[in-house]
Amino acid sequence: MDRRLFLRCIGCTAAVAAATQTELFPEILGGIQNACAFDSPPQLASVEARYYKKLDEHGIECEICPRHCQVTDLERGFCGTRENRDDTYYTLVYGLPCALNIDPIEKKPLFHFYPGTTALSLATAGCNVNCKFCQNWEISQSRPEQTNNFPLDPRDAVNTCVVRKIPTIAYTYSEPVIFYEYMYDIARHGQKKGIHSVMITGGYIEEKPLHDLLPQLDAVKVDLKAIREEYYRTIVHGELKPVLDRLIQIKKEGTWLEIVYLVVPTLNDSEAEFTELARWIKTYLGNDVPTHFSRFYPQYLLKNLPPTPLKTLETAYQICQAEGLEYVYLGNVPGHKAESTYCPKCGAVVIKRRGYRVLQTNLNGNRCSKCNHIIPGIFS
Amino acid sequence: MSKVVVVKYSGKLSKQGCTPEQYLRMLSCGFKLLTGKSNLVKILQTMIPANSVIGMKTNCLARRHNSTPVALTQALTNILTEAGFDENDIIIWERTNRELSQAGFTLNAASHGIRCFGTDTNGVGYSRDFYTFGDVNSLVTRIITDIVDYNINLPVLKDHSIAGLSAGLKNMYGAINNPNKYHDNNCDPFCAHISNLRPIKEKNHLTILDAIKVQYHGGPGYVSKYIDYYHGIIISTDPVAADTVGLKILQQIRKNNGLPVLEKVERPVKYLKSAEQIGLGVTDWNKIDIRTVTIDKHGSETIGELF
Repeated sequence: MDRRLFLRCIGCTAAVAAATQTELFPEILGGIQNACAFDSPPQLASVEARYYKKLDEHGIECEICPRHCQVTDLERGFCGTRENRDDTYYTLVYGLPCALNIDPIEKKPLFHFYPGTTALSLATAGCNVNCKFCQNWEISQSRPEQTNNFPLDPRDAVNTCVVRKIPTIAYTYSEPVIFYEYMYDIARHGQKKGIHSVMITGGYIEEKPLHDLLPQLDAVKVDLKAIREEYYRTIVHGELKPVLDRLIQIKKEGTWLEIVYLVVPTLNDSEAEFTELARWIKTYLGNDVPTHFSRFYPQYLLKNLPPTPLKTLETAYQICQAEGLEYVYLGNVPGHKAESTYCPKCGAVVIKRRGYRVLQTNLNGNRCSKCNHIIPGIFS
Repeated sequence: MSKVVVVKYSGKLSKQGCTPEQYLRMLSCGFKLLTGKSNLVKILQTMIPANSVIGMKTNCLARRHNSTPVALTQALTNILTEAGFDENDIIIWERTNRELSQAGFTLNAASHGIRCFGTDTNGVGYSRDFYTFGDVNSLVTRIITDIVDYNINLPVLKDHSIAGLSAGLKNMYGAINNPNKYHDNNCDPFCAHISNLRPIKEKNHLTILDAIKVQYHGGPGYVSKYIDYYHGIIISTDPVAADTVGLKILQQIRKNNGLPVLEKVERPVKYLKSAEQIGLGVTDWNKIDIRTVTIDKHGSETIGELF
């Protein structure tokens, strides 16, 4: 199978975009060919889900995310990937990614986590929210039978990284919380083989499953989509409060954390919101948590809005710096100086970036090579 | 006024439910009552434009236990072919081939014979563009957008653990790509808004609600201890009125079996009012002209009551 056919099989805009920087794996592609057979109905997984309880009379209640879907026989939760069969809850996406690429870690974005390295990035169909701006809606808002999936056992995912010398696996593109069991098992195998795991998430997960998962992960990037509950209710179809609680939990439990805030014109781009956001981060997480402001491009259900003006992003940047955040970045603006990391003590460029590329690193271990100031993160 | 016809069968039914012949009698009687005309062939030729590709949206969630009966589709197909429609222009459909197969349907995507396939069939899938109404943004199955001209909705009357009622409007969840996103707030107003998505509204013309066997609690899956028999079908060109009558029957069966009304178990069927508000049909009992008839095993018809 050639690369073009592989991408057709994946059927995902994000994957297509990502593939420009991707090497593909013949050992994985061998598995994909089966998934593309014309007459075969899509085979879904049937692995019992974790974190659910049986209800008194009939049905189950999912306890993996704050939505707590109550699901009766043969129905699915909001995510569309978990199904009740005779009051046993199953994940249908275990071992069935629909997108798989090698990305720079900067693309996640994780800027303080092994800069300049790559991550095997994978996703299954489904999501537990429905953001109107989603860039990957073709997979995140689909049920697994609507995507082209291919079998990839957790051990195979890890072995591929070992063979290809890819240091990290990123659970990304859609929402890893909905393929929790698969992510957990890959991460666990990865740990044994020295492969890192990073979760790129909206953070809409319950406390207990996150607590159990964090020891398997090396870093988490949370999309904090807004600092206002109303935005979460109307644009994200989720809730803000549990996300804030989980951010605090991640920080408390000691897993490396970075935050992305997608700035959507007219919806979450006021100076008051940037100020509120900066103050919340500083108060509850500390001023050294990298905070990325990402530029919005019209997508999915928000095609009526323009891309975020650069000026708005720069305003966010300035406000956060003025509020004392030490590592503020702008994303989706290649070439901007705010893509680089600066030492908060001496102002020197410690990691110079352009787009997803690391051009120069001026670090001794995790210290600024000029003034010896400690730069937080995992660098070596 | 919206006319709703309820045809009940008083003869003995087998464990499998009605035979195609029994359904044929019920449908024949129902169509005549619905239109006030006596020639069944002419009735269908008047209702459905010539050369239409006709869809039959089934509900196959409960597999063989309590899905749209194959016998109902066979009876309807007989009537349609009798009226001159090509059998290859009839498509029995559902979300997935798996669901159809598990409900007892024989898949066929060939260019001869009655077609039967799911949206997941290669080359079918969902619309490229989103359709939006109110709180719903969805891709719609190409069976509705591109393939059929006239859809007949063939739901099964059931209790629904979230929506309260699973009938015609709820069955259209099977026509979109993301039904799992629309179950909050007792599926209100989503149930109404999905049926008001342009291609669905334009092509979904007739509801035949199967209420031979009713899952009056524990639905929409199959729970044998909560099955009761109404022995009826409900026919209307008003999807909201059909569901309103279906709800009345469901509530009565629940009462007969000692269960509280749906409102008391936090499953009020709010979406019917929402559907009325956007002009999909009527819920006002004073605006629904209900004709109930009972037919016996010899085909004799008597005017009857809902209960």
